[in-house]
Formats: sequence, C-alpha cells, structure tokens
Amino acid sequence: MRTTLQRWLGLVVATGALGWSACSRPASAPNQPGRLVLVHQPLWGNPAPFEALLEQFRRDNPEVELRTQLLPNDSDVSHQFFLTSLEGGSADFDVLVADVVWVPEFARAGWIADLSSEFPPTALAAEFLPAAADAVTLEGKTWAVPWYLDVGLLYYRTDLVPRAPRTWAELEAFARAARTRDPSLQGYLWQGRQYEGLVCNVYEAIWGFGGQSLAGDRLALDTPEAAAALTLLRRLISTGVSPPSVTSAAEEQTRLAFQNGRAIFMRNWPYALGEAQQEGSAIRGKVAISPLPTQHGEPGFGALGGWQLAINARTPAERRPAAIRLVRLLTSLEANRLFALEYGRNPPRRAAYLDPALIAGAPEIAQLLPLLERARPRPLTPYYGMLSDILQSEFSAAISGVRPPAQALQRAQAQADRLMGAPR
Amino acid sequence: MKRLGLLLAMTAALTFCVGPFLWQVLTSLRPETEQTRLALPTRPTLQAYAEVFEGRAFAQVMLNSFAVASLTTLLCLAIGALAAFALARLPVPGRGALLAAALGASMFPPIATVGPLFLLIRALGLRDQLAGLVLPYATFALPLTLWVLTAHFRQLPPDLYRAARIDGCTPFAAFWRVLLPLAAPGLVTTGLLVFIFSWNEFLYALTFTSSPEHRTVPVAIALFASEHAEPWAQIAAASVIVTLPLVILTLAFQRRLVSGLTAGAVKG
Amino acid sequence: MTERRQGLLFVAPAVAVLAGVALYPILGTIWLSLHRSILVFHEHRFVGFDNWATLFEDARFWSALVTTLYFSAVAVSAELALGLLFALLLHGVFRGRGLLRAAVLVPWAIPTVVSARLWGWLFNPDHGLVARMLPGDEVNWLGTPGYALHAAIVVDVWKTTPFVALILLAGLQAIPVELGRAAALDGAGPLRILWSITLPLLRPALAVAAVFRGLDAMRVFDAVYVLTGGGPANTTETLSIYAYKTLMRSGDFGYGSTIAVATFVCVSVLAAIYLWLVVPTQEPA
Repeated sequence: MRTTLQRWLGLVVATGALGWSACSRPASAPNQPGRLVLVHQPLWGNPAPFEALLEQFRRDNPEVELRTQLLPNDSDVSHQFFLTSLEGGSADFDVLVADVVWVPEFARAGWIADLSSEFPPTALAAEFLPAAADAVTLEGKTWAVPWYLDVGLLYYRTDLVPRAPRTWAELEAFARAARTRDPSLQGYLWQGRQYEGLVCNVYEAIWGFGGQSLAGDRLALDTPEAAAALTLLRRLISTGVSPPSVTSAAEEQTRLAFQNGRAIFMRNWPYALGEAQQEGSAIRGKVAISPLPTQHGEPGFGALGGWQLAINARTPAERRPAAIRLVRLLTSLEANRLFALEYGRNPPRRAAYLDPALIAGAPEIAQLLPLLERARPRPLTPYYGMLSDILQSEFSAAISGVRPPAQALQRAQAQADRLMGAPR
Repeated sequence: MKRLGLLLAMTAALTFCVGPFLWQVLTSLRPETEQTRLALPTRPTLQAYAEVFEGRAFAQVMLNSFAVASLTTLLCLAIGALAAFALARLPVPGRGALLAAALGASMFPPIATVGPLFLLIRALGLRDQLAGLVLPYATFALPLTLWVLTAHFRQLPPDLYRAARIDGCTPFAAFWRVLLPLAAPGLVTTGLLVFIFSWNEFLYALTFTSSPEHRTVPVAIALFASEHAEPWAQIAAASVIVTLPLVILTLAFQRRLVSGLTAGAVKG
Repeated sequence: MTERRQGLLFVAPAVAVLAGVALYPILGTIWLSLHRSILVFHEHRFVGFDNWATLFEDARFWSALVTTLYFSAVAVSAELALGLLFALLLHGVFRGRGLLRAAVLVPWAIPTVVSARLWGWLFNPDHGLVARMLPGDEVNWLGTPGYALHAAIVVDVWKTTPFVALILLAGLQAIPVELGRAAALDGAGPLRILWSITLPLLRPALAVAAVFRGLDAMRVFDAVYVLTGGGPANTTETLSIYAYKTLMRSGDFGYGSTIAVATFVCVSVLAAIYLWLVVPTQEPA
C-alpha cells in the first residue's frame, strides 16, 4: 500500500513541478531593450503585403526587433483585452490599435501616450479627413493616428430598384414593389444583433432623423429623434421590409444573404462591395452604393468605424522613437495606398483619394470620399466603452420588440447618466 | 413488450447523453463543403485537427490548462489532506464550524469574489500569469477536498491512529506514515475531481488572463470564433481534443468518481 | 505540543487559504458596493448606499433576477424529472447498465464551455441540427427572445442531468428491495410502488439534488455567456452575466459589486436551506 501511494505521490509531485515550470516561464519576455511589439486586429486577405511593409521597417531599423500580436476579431473582446492588460499596467506591447470609440477612454485612463509633439493636431486636421482627425484628438492633444476608416453605406440592387432611395419611405416603397414582383426576396438587411454593429446602425438612423449623439456632456438618448429612429427600425421588421433574422445578424450574415442575391437592400461597411463585385458573386455588376436614406431625403450620415494606432503610455522613452517611426510608416500615404489596394481599406488621408494609382486600382474606394466626409463618430466620450453595453442592450430590446422604443431609451438614458456621473 | 420498452428507453437515454457529442465529432471530421449535410461525411478529413494545432497556439493552451489544473490539485491535496486528517482525528476546536464554512465558501457565486480577487491578483503582479489562477481555484477546490477527505479519514478505524501514537509516532508521523497511505483511494478520487473542475473553470480564467498565450482551454474555446464566418469544424475539433482526455479519465475511474461525487453531494 | 495545538497547526494553512480566497474577497465586494469605483479612471469614492438605491430601481437588475429564477426553476425541475427517469432505468436494467452509466458520465465530463459551443452549433439558425429536425417553421433559437432562454435551459439540462441521476441512483440503491417486493406481493402495480414507496423514500435525495442544482443554476455563467452572451435583447442575461459585464466590460467596480452581492444574497438563501438540510447529519458523533 505504501509503495502505491509513494509512486502516486511521486507522479503528482512530478506533474506539479512540470506545471510550475510552465507557469513560471516568462511567456512574452517584455521590456527587452531592442524589442518593439505591435498589437493589431486581423486584416483578413493575403498577409504578404502587410508583412512586406513590416519587413521594410525591419530593414530601415535593424537595431529594433519588431514583433506582432493578433487581437481576437471581436471588438468587444479586444476592448476587454486592453482593459485588463493596460489597466494592469502591462508593458508587453508598445504600439496598439484602437477602435475609433476607444481613443478618448484610453487617453483619459492614461493608457496611451500623448503624441502631440510628433503629430500636432493642426497637421492631422490638415492631412486627414475631418471625422478621422476628430476621433483621435481630445482637448487639443493628439492621442493616436488614423490607420484606416470604415463608414456605413446603403447597398442596393440596380436590377431590382430604379435608383437609390433617398428617404426611408422610399426605401420601404421600393422594397414592397420589388417584393410583389418576387416574393422570395428579402427587403432591407442590416445588423441588429446585440453587439457594437447595432449601435452604429441605430445612430445612423438617429442622425437621419436629425438627432445628435451628445447634448452637452450627456448622451442624447431620450429624445424624439431617437424614438423615431428606433420606431422606424422596429417597424421595418414588423412590416416585413426587413426579415426577422436581422435581430440576430452581424455583418457577415447580411453580406452572405445579399451576395447570394436574396435581398434588395443592405446596410454594411465598404468591404462588402469588393466581395460583391468578385467573380462568382451572384450580384456582380448588379449592385451599387449610396448614402443611407434619411427622413427628409438629404444624404444620410454613415457611422465612422476603423482603427487608429496609439502608443502604450508605459513604453519606455528609449523605445518611443522606434514606436513613432512604426506609426509614421503604417499611417503614411504609401501605407494608405497599400491598404486600399491590397485589403480594400479606406484611407484616412485626404491626399490618398487624389492618388492616381489608387483611383485606377481601387475606384470603388476612391468614390467613397464624399461619404467619408459625411461620416460621424458615435458619441466621443471617455465613457464610451462603459456605455456601449447599455446601448447594445436597450437598442436590441427596442428593435426586437421586447419593450417600446421610448421606454428603452428612457432606461438607457438613466443608466448612461448614472455611469457618466451626471446628477440623478 | 416490457423488454421492448426498456430497449427503447435505453436507446433514448444513450442518444440523449452521447448523441450531441458524437455530432460534434462528425462536425470536426467534415470538410468545409459538407457542413450543411445531415448524413455522414462522404470524405472525412482530419484537416480541422491539423488547423487547430497550427502554430502551436492550441498546444500551448492545453499545456496551460494542464499546468494550472495539476498545480491546483497538488496544492489542495497538500493543504487539504493535512487539515482533513486533523479535522477527523484531532481535537480541533470548532471543526464543525470550519467544515460548514468551507461548504459555504464552495457555494459562493464566483462572481461575488471576482472583483476583489482581480484587484488582489493585480496588486501581487500575478495578472495574466497562470500562477494567478491557482489560488482562486482553491475557492471551490479546497472545500471539496476537505469534505471528501475528512469523510475518508473518518472511515479509517480510529484504533489505527491510537496505536501509532502509542508506538511513539508524533501526530504528523501517524498521519504521514499510517493514515495517508490508507487514504490513497480517497486522494485519487479527490485529486481527479479537483483536476476536472479546474480544467473546466471559465470565469476566473476569463477575467485574470488576457493574452492568448496564457489562456486556458475553456477561454480559448469560448473565444475561438470570430465575428465573421465561424470556423465550426475547428471549434468542433478543438472541443473533441480537450474533451477526450476527460471522457477517458472519467470512464476509467467511473466508480470512484461516482462515489466521490455522490458522497460530496449526499453527505455534503 | 498538545494534539489540540498540532491540530490547529495542521488546519491553519487551509483556513488561511480559505480566508484569502473566499472571506476576504466577499467582504471586499461588499465594501466596493458602497463606492463609486470606475477602475479605468481611478475614480473611487465612498457613496454609502447610493448603488443599492440604484439597484432597487434598476429594471435591468430585476429582469436579470427574474431570468435567473425562471432559468433555475425550469432547468432544475427538468433535471429532476429526467434524472429520476435515468436513475430508475439505471437501477432497473441489468444488461447494458455499465454502458448506460458510462454514457451518462459523458455530458458530465465535458467542460461547460465546450457543451455550450456544441449546442451553439446544434442551434445554429442556418446549419443547426435542431432547426432542421424540428417540424414547423424554422426558428432562430438563439436569436429570438423567448426561445434563447429555453435553448440555454436545454444546454444546462443536458450537462447536469447525469449528476442528478447519479445522486438519485445512490438514493434508490439505499432503499431496501424488500419493500418493493412486499408491495408487489400485495398486488401493487409498478407505478403505485413508485408513487407510494419509492418517491417518499427518495425524498431526501431529491431534496439534496434540487437544492444542490438550484445553487448552481442561480449562479449560472459559463453556459449562458458562451451560448448567447446574454442576448438577444438581454433576455438571457442572468445575475452573474449582468454583474460580470458591469464589472469587467464596463469596469464599473462599484455597481458591478452591488449586483454581485445581490447575487450572493440570493444564492445564500438557498445555501442556508441546504446547510440546514445536510450539516446536522454530518456532525461527528
């Protein structure tokens, strides 16, 4: 009996020792002098062009060992990654990507470095599109540099409707007309799952009804414009203009259905156009884009999306010059062009849209300039990261009919005010 | 007639228990183009398994889980066996209260402790370290160890301990030389239960680790997917890989586990 | 050193660990619940019972509570009913019992996260087995309010029925066989025996299983979080998920702690019942 036990104990101790060595092994070995770590989100597509760009940095900076780390491809999960690691004072990475809506939060929390001396706000405002520059400056300081942009668009089928609808009423009428001819078609697809994309969709509708995102320091949620917007989105579903599945759809579900020719309209980001025009696509040559519809027919405002590059506030001074050089390279006009041509990403630099190579190689991107100039950010507040969960919850409840829009907005307003510290 | 009924009931029960897992196995073997089929895959492939292990990331994750689970097991057995022996055989004041407190702690919703534990782990510099998971895991693992092992030590004849003491053993020597070897089956049962619970833990692992190379198996599987097309075959393959060892372990030790589980539940 | 002192020494490490990972954090959570504490902006100030006042008016909290209670009640009832059938089957059959018992352990051994993923695929609106096998209109189980919570209940029932079955089996095996035989001789049918003899004698085991499972269901996190993330429209948001999102996604440690303490209180009520049921029988003679 004793020997059995001793053998067993030996086994346990051995596994424990193995476990300990695995636990205590430094996994990412931070803080080595010559090392620079870039954290970015998946780019999709062929990795080679991006690798080549990084290779160029390595050639020009032989003393720096550049490493990359990938984020999960879910904006909410990535945000939580930054929350736990940057809050914990992590110096495991130096250059990081930030979603448009995170920059004020990260800046206020002291997680990202002030870049005003290398990238003065005035220079940014001159070189970049207005919404992109706005999103990275806060109280007269620069906290990040725009990397590439996204904007919400309306996609429509040129073979099914006469022209792009300018008002919501037109969109509904066009969809009905097309569906009486072919009842198997779906009307208008958009992203209604409880996630960040829904917030973009709802804000676009709110702006289309003349609403604003902020009223002073508060979020403007409990307003007639927002109620009208949510009522409209709910009505689209209840009247069958949008299929019930939109309440659980994200970008890809809607793109796949639209690209298979099953729908008349879709709201999506610019990437869907490249996919739709690819060979083998059922709607190749039968699809066009336009600004989103509004209540009164002026061109709609698309939500601004996209990624910015920032520098970790914990990055030591001796690594900062290299980090700045990397940010400069990745946000240069050449890099803008490369991301447009190779990855279909919209350049944030104004000059890129006049670039002959880009106009020739990616006309569908070049034509987006007027839409990007009208892009609007979701509310720019340091509390956005905390608010998005509230917005997602209540918007989702309103569009899926769990509670009336006005009530959902009241609830969202009360929670947001409490979080932002407004007097109750 | 009765036999037919029993047979039907057996089949239904077996399908209910094993069916969903077998479907996952099938999913993992299907090529991408056959994911929408209901029938058996015509061209089964191990490609999803190869993709899961590509770049070593998943092997790292499995090693992480193994390390955390075995360290937790070791820690809880070491601390728990000693305490359980004392609770069973020595005149420790307030032992009923201690056992009750341990049981109470095991019923804490993890969400009620996660905030301060996060702050504590961060202050200790253990954030995003596997070692930072071992202590929190003791919240649920140590009470289990205490209860099962105390019961085991009580079942051993009390005379054994008395005899050892009369022979001149110190209480510790009596524990180490005489009682612990006899409690080996209890240690195995407890160790297995603690290992399995630690291997499966999700909330603490999700909260206290952030970088991909420090994730444990449940976190890696939960975050496997992406916003765009979900790699269902890979998720299924990863699920099968992490589940098979547990299923084998469970089936190999099923009698012990069942007795440990039901003792843990029925007696506390 | 006296045995008493040695005993205390031996128990000390376990007590220290439990105090560090259970007592300290729970007190810490209660303390945090009295603060406005926004971790990322280093806002931390004492606000007394403000958070609690908010909680009582917070409709989202009340719906999370209702969701959790509904989830627990339905899931535990289903688990008890199914678990009883399984236990009777395991107790009754002789050929194939080993096979069945092994099969019963499979869902138990599968990590909860994996089982949520597995069912997530089965409930997938486009390719899932469930949507395609059920008759009638295709239902998007995970995307439709009202359905999603029941999908989560299915996952929980599948995962934990084995545990219930094993406890009830242990209870069944403790019932003397003679009782049933005697009743059968007196002309009682099997259903009558089940109702009048087996179930009354099984009551303690049923009670233990119910409370034990109830405790787990009230604090459910993994299965639902991975399956639905609390959506659609928060209709599957349980107390733990709401607290987790407030704590770790929003970084609002003050209010998040308030929800966590509220969860703790709800679970404690059940735990108290359980301790009252179980502990007295365990006191050393």
